[in-house]
This record gives sequence, C-alpha cells and structure tokens, in this order.
Amino acid sequence: MSQSATANGPARPSLVGRIGRTLLNFWGIALILVLWEALVVLNDFNVIVMPRPWAVFADIWANPGLYLQNFMQTAWVAMGGLVLGMIAGTTIAVLAWSSRILNGLLTPIGLIFSSIPVVAMIPVLARMLGYGTETVLAIVAILSFFPFFVFTGSGLKLLPAGSADLFSVFGAKKHQRLFHLALPSALPNWTVALRLASANAILGAMVAEFLMGTSGLGQMLHAASQAFNTERALGASVCATIGSVTLFVLVVSLEARVRERWT
Amino acid sequence: MTDRTAAPAIDFRGVTKSFRLPDGKTLTALTDTSLSVGKGEFVALLGPSGCGKSTLLRLVAGLEAPSSGAVAVEGRAPEELVKAHRLGIAFQEHALLPWLTVRQNIELPFRIAGRPVMRERVQGLINLVGLAGFEAARPKQLSGGMRQRVAIARSLVLEPEILLLDEPFGALDAVTRRQMNVELQRIWSESRISTLLVTHAVEEALFLADRVIVLSGRPGKVVRTLEVPFARPRHPDVMRTAQFHQLVDELTETLHPTDGAGH
Repeated sequence: MSQSATANGPARPSLVGRIGRTLLNFWGIALILVLWEALVVLNDFNVIVMPRPWAVFADIWANPGLYLQNFMQTAWVAMGGLVLGMIAGTTIAVLAWSSRILNGLLTPIGLIFSSIPVVAMIPVLARMLGYGTETVLAIVAILSFFPFFVFTGSGLKLLPAGSADLFSVFGAKKHQRLFHLALPSALPNWTVALRLASANAILGAMVAEFLMGTSGLGQMLHAASQAFNTERALGASVCATIGSVTLFVLVVSLEARVRERWT
Repeated sequence: MTDRTAAPAIDFRGVTKSFRLPDGKTLTALTDTSLSVGKGEFVALLGPSGCGKSTLLRLVAGLEAPSSGAVAVEGRAPEELVKAHRLGIAFQEHALLPWLTVRQNIELPFRIAGRPVMRERVQGLINLVGLAGFEAARPKQLSGGMRQRVAIARSLVLEPEILLLDEPFGALDAVTRRQMNVELQRIWSESRISTLLVTHAVEEALFLADRVIVLSGRPGKVVRTLEVPFARPRHPDVMRTAQFHQLVDELTETLHPTDGAGH
C-alpha cells in the first residue's frame, strides 16, 4: 500500500530544491542580519558597542584554527556531559522503577539535587574537581541528569493499555517486564529528555567555561569581552549557536522518527 | 470433546471478592459464586456491565486473589499456571505493543516464556487468523478487527491449557463483531481449548459457547446456566433459526428482567 502511494505520489524534491526550501525557512534570520548591518551603519555605532555582522564573520574567517579549537573543546565537553547525564539519569530512573524502597530514596534526592541552580554548584565542584575540563563535564552532566531522570521515570509507567495485565498473565519476570515492556514504552519520553538536555548542554558548558575561564568557547567569550573585542565575543556566540542548532535539529529528527514508530 | 467427569479446567468454589475503595467503603464484586468449566468446554459468562464477570476472569488469570473461597485451574492455583506459561488471554484493549510488528507481537509469549520461537507455529496462526501478508505491519496500520485477530493469535501461540477472553470484540462495530465471532468459532474449533469468554452480548455468547452462565448485577451471582443446543461445527446460519432467536429473547429477559414494566 505504501509502495503504490510513493509511486503515484508527487516526486520528491531534488536536493537543491530542498536546501533552497530550508534556507527559505530561515529568511527571518537573514532579515535580522540585514537590519543589524543597517542599524550599525546608519547610527555609526562604535565597533566596541556593536560590530557589523560582516566583521564578526570576517573574524571567524581570519582565525579558523582558534575558533575550531575552542568549538571542538566545548562541543566535546557538552557531548560528554550529555552522555554522562543520560547514563546517570536513565539508570537511576530504572533503579527507582525497579523497587519501591529505591524509589523512596532516589526520587527526593534527584529532585532536590536538580533544584539547586547550577551556577551555585560551580564553586563547590571546582574545589572538588579542580578548575578544569572535569568540572565543566560535571556541570553539563548534572544539568542533563534531571530531564533524563524525570522523563524516563514517567515514561517507564506509560504502558500500552492492558499490557501490564498481559505480561502478568504470561508470567513475565521483572527483567522481562523492563526490557520487553517498560523500557520500549519509555523511549518516546526519553527522546523528549534528549531534546531538552541537548538544548542545554552547550549552554551549560559555556556558562561553566565562562565562569571558570579555563578553555573553550565560554572562556573565549569571556576573554574577548574583557578585552572589548566584541567581534570575537560575538564570533564565539555564533559558533555556539551553530553547534546548538545542529544538535537540536538532529535530536528533533530522531524524536520524530521514534514518535512515528511508537504511536 | 467436552468431558465433565475429569477434573474441571476451571473450578470456582464459593468465591467472594470484595475491594476496598479509597473512601474506606467496601465494594463486593462477587458473592458466593460457584461454577466450573470442563476440559475442552467453551463457557460464556454473560452479565450486565459491572456484575463482576471481568473480576471472575481476573481471578482465573491470577490477576486478583479471592477474598474467600477457592479458585482452581487444572486443579492448581492460577499462579502456578501463570508461572508455567499455560494461560492464554485476550482483552478488549488489544494490548498489542505498538513498536513491534504483527509477527513480533505474536512471538512475544515465546520470548517471555524463554523458549525458542517456533516460526512455523507463528506463521500457522497468522494464516489461521487471516493475516497472511500483514506479518510486517505495525498495530497502528491495522483495523480494529485485525488488531483483535493478532491478539487472539498471540493468546493461542503457546498452546495454552486455558483460554481467557475478556470482551475481546467489545470495542468493534456490530458488523465486524459478528464477522469476528464467526472467525473465532472456526479458530476455536481447530484447537478446542477450555475457554472462558466474558461478554455482555447475548448473540455472541450463544453462537460461541457450549454453555452460557448468566450473572446478576452487582454483587455478581450465578442466576442461570444454559446448555447451548446447537451442534458443532456451527454455521453462521444458526443465528437465523427460530430456536436461536427464542434463546436470545430468554437470555435477554434473564439479563434485564422487564418485570412487566411494559416495554
């Protein structure tokens, strides 16, 4: 049935056509860039107050190695922290699911831990782990932990109607219930957690880098704004935005794919 | 095939089941109910909604424990049959797992029982329920009737000793429901498993069962037992005979006594 639909349906747009359409969706961003350029030129703003967008891109173009190195550093730490938070959040949600006693212990701790503003944790963590990459990694992991813990926890209970009784009558053991029923049921919620956590991962990494001033885009932003190098500061922001948007788009398409199959 | 001299497949002795409600009151679903299902017998439990007929079935499935009295399945406690994966069940909510294909859903009981999947048995059942060609489809791509066929195939796949059907066609439209009854009659005739069907449809009970047991409204209690006189295999035309219509009227009167109210 789906085959005939594809055969009779409209032809898929060519690659060029699709890229064109995607760019068209971002015309708002192009408009902002044009307005920004016009604002700076018409008001004759000082470069320190507000550089022209063109100058920001020129700075990136002139220093590709510097930008790439800092971008990779931040991206690596953000991804690493995301994965650590994912593993911790998912594991603890599964442990809380598996026993009422563990649930009573872990859920309040998880909630309290997640309510502490991450900025307040930076000085403490930095004392413990040192003013380095480990602390940035820990900050991102802590930020990512909460959505995975909460959404996986609730997803493990979102079972298809009647399936819990079905598994009981089939004589399923606890681990079979987990792997055949609860975990697959939780997957749509888990991808929501992934989307929320990845939107914050690069932000979290940059805040930590900014406050500790060690390495990566956050440190670059901090150093550049201290030196009134506004073009570079904005350049760092542009790189972070590109990273965040790319990650977000990838995760959203994964989420859509899961949703398509699961519902 | 019906042999009521041997130990019955299902035996209810003076079973009472009450539930404690959140507001502290007690709801009695069944009072002092005794009934039995012989080996290879198809028994339909007929009753108004809320008469405890589903509770009765859940007691057989080991999903509930009786407040007093005893439930024996094949002379043993229901839990023992559950552990041995000897019960087949199908609910009104088909309880198919949306992320699995038709074939994988039917194979699920093998995986839960920890047995190797018998591919020929699975394919045989897919053919028997008329779903050949839909093996790779997902539940959401199927109609309501087709989903129930999958659920019935799944309930039969481990060749259970007891088949429990809880309003399996309750959510279907009248035409599909009648068609599914004809199909189930054919499928059941191939295996002749001891079966307990819970329904509130009089025609369904009469067409499918060897014996119809009518329960009264809350609290549930056996008010009538009827031996169905139609020989097997039953042709759908049996539903058009005068005798069938007369029995439908009788049972409907038992279910909802008009008490000379004038309608």
